[in-house]
Amino acid sequence: MGHQAAPRGHELLPHTADAGLRARAPDLPSLFEEAAAALAGLAADVDPGAVAAEFPVEVGAEDLPALTYVWLNELISLADARAAAIAGARVEAVTVAPAGGPVGLKATVALVPYGRRARPRVNVKSATYHRLAVEPDPGGGWVLTAYLDL
Amino acid sequence: MSSPRAAAGLRLEQLDAARWRIPRDERRGMRVDGIVLADERLMAGLRDDPALDQVANVATLPGIVTASLAMPDVHWGYGFPVGGVAATRRDGGVVSPGGIGFDINCGVRLLRTDLGAADIRPVAERLADALFRAVPSGVGSRGGRRLARDELDAVLVRGAAWVVERGRGTPDDLDRTEERGALAGAEPAAVSPRARERGADQLGTLGSGNHFLEVQVVERVLDPAAAAAFGLAEGLVTVMVHCGSRGLGHQVCTDHVAVMDRANRRFGIVLPDRQLACAPLDTPEAAAYLAAMRAAANFAWANRQLIAAAVRDAFARVFGLPAERLGLRQVYDLSHNIAKLERHEVDGVPVELCVHRKGATRAFPAGHPDVPAPYRAVGQPVLIPGDMGRCSYVAVGAPGAMATTFGSACHGAGRNLSRHAALRALRGVDVAGQLAREGIVVRAERRDLLAEEASLAYKDVDVVMEVAAAAGICRPVARLRPLVVVKG
Repeated sequence: MGHQAAPRGHELLPHTADAGLRARAPDLPSLFEEAAAALAGLAADVDPGAVAAEFPVEVGAEDLPALTYVWLNELISLADARAAAIAGARVEAVTVAPAGGPVGLKATVALVPYGRRARPRVNVKSATYHRLAVEPDPGGGWVLTAYLDL
Repeated sequence: MSSPRAAAGLRLEQLDAARWRIPRDERRGMRVDGIVLADERLMAGLRDDPALDQVANVATLPGIVTASLAMPDVHWGYGFPVGGVAATRRDGGVVSPGGIGFDINCGVRLLRTDLGAADIRPVAERLADALFRAVPSGVGSRGGRRLARDELDAVLVRGAAWVVERGRGTPDDLDRTEERGALAGAEPAAVSPRARERGADQLGTLGSGNHFLEVQVVERVLDPAAAAAFGLAEGLVTVMVHCGSRGLGHQVCTDHVAVMDRANRRFGIVLPDRQLACAPLDTPEAAAYLAAMRAAANFAWANRQLIAAAVRDAFARVFGLPAERLGLRQVYDLSHNIAKLERHEVDGVPVELCVHRKGATRAFPAGHPDVPAPYRAVGQPVLIPGDMGRCSYVAVGAPGAMATTFGSACHGAGRNLSRHAALRALRGVDVAGQLAREGIVVRAERRDLLAEEASLAYKDVDVVMEVAAAAGICRPVARLRPLVVVKG
């Protein structure tokens, strides 16, 4: 019930040289979507309705913070390799093995090549492990904090 | 001496006018002291900065010797502080990719000319346009073409020499580049397919953020002998380039931080920040990272070599004379994000160490065998960019650096405001107009980037230089004032 009512959204956090992001969502798939949205909004401006190419993404890691690291970095590197902006991400599933086992994520990522419909804002070099956390939100749902190297 | 506490609750002991100590018993797990090079003015801005917490965290790395060091431009980074130096024993120590950073071999190249400021002023707008066109900049910028696989392999091994062999530079450029523009031990096979994909069409590009191209004038010479050796004199024009290994280097670091984070449990290494993920130097994980890091470093040197060639072309077009006739020659090129295996004295005994410099440059003094022959009598040039509205410095390595910082010095002014805070403080301010009134012509991919990179976002490099000199790690040689600025 708490999860149904939990808020969904994201914000950027200050950092002297870089930037942080905090995402909140009622469940893990929407949490990772929110983190992607925060990254996308920081990195570029994409016109609504811009034609995007979709890419399937499947990543795994040993825990949720590590999954965040590989997820955000997959988005960053996929976009950089194609000189494109992240227009959106749809997370289809986050799998969590019992008793601290491996975790995984399946998603579809939409990219728009830089140009008239997508304009870069900030060069995000990488997501980092610095202060990286994925935790149950005391208010219900989940909260994710990550810092990005700009 | 005073013993205030930083925001992180760490006790700080002032050792002298330019040095503070975070005692090793301040935090569980610290193996050595933290030493911060700062005066009262710089420390006033650091007390609430998480950088001091990061200095203490770095002190927990296995095999670290002497101290976790912070240069005078230190500020909050990720894992390591920016402006951090840590040396670990080759035998029993670790390498931490976060201690080099994502932009492997980000660095600075300085060219000098026979031109004076009076030659630049009438053509400054045209020169700014020519440089802006000649050097692709901004997020997602691409070079002239995508390198074939074997070409990229050659760049990763040969670095700047690969560019020079193709007629884009001279052997003298290599003589005046740290490591002659290529680290031995680079292995292209250690660079992942994604890193290759990101880098293949980014060679010769500036990137964005704090990367820049500046045309400057030597406003003041502070060490005439060293200035003469570096080819600098008051009134002469210089060109400074700041950039790194682009997406290829970012991906190399990203890949290997993940590998080491997974391996740390197996190694039994417990760290206060996962971004400090590391591997013992005698493990395959460390060998793989160092092989890839060296390849990325070589890519960065090739990148700056190509950019310097484009700068020479732009000057030749604007002035209608070949670059050689303009006296456009390289002063030096150095790295400020790198790890090197070097010999230093620890407790009076020479030992081989892995020296991590994260936002810190090498600063070897006169007589050191690794200082290029043309400069061995005076010492290694240390290039310290300030900010686009004030000034930068050319300094020279001093003996104190070998005694206290493993031959290292500061890499710039260091940020003191976040990008967001700078934007907020300068909302509605015409930064380009302000710079124009100071006689500085600027070109940028985005107008808001000028606010993010404005002078108020940075510490005063005059103070940083003063503290570095007081600490004995380098001496100022020349103060450079910007005339033309190109931002990515």
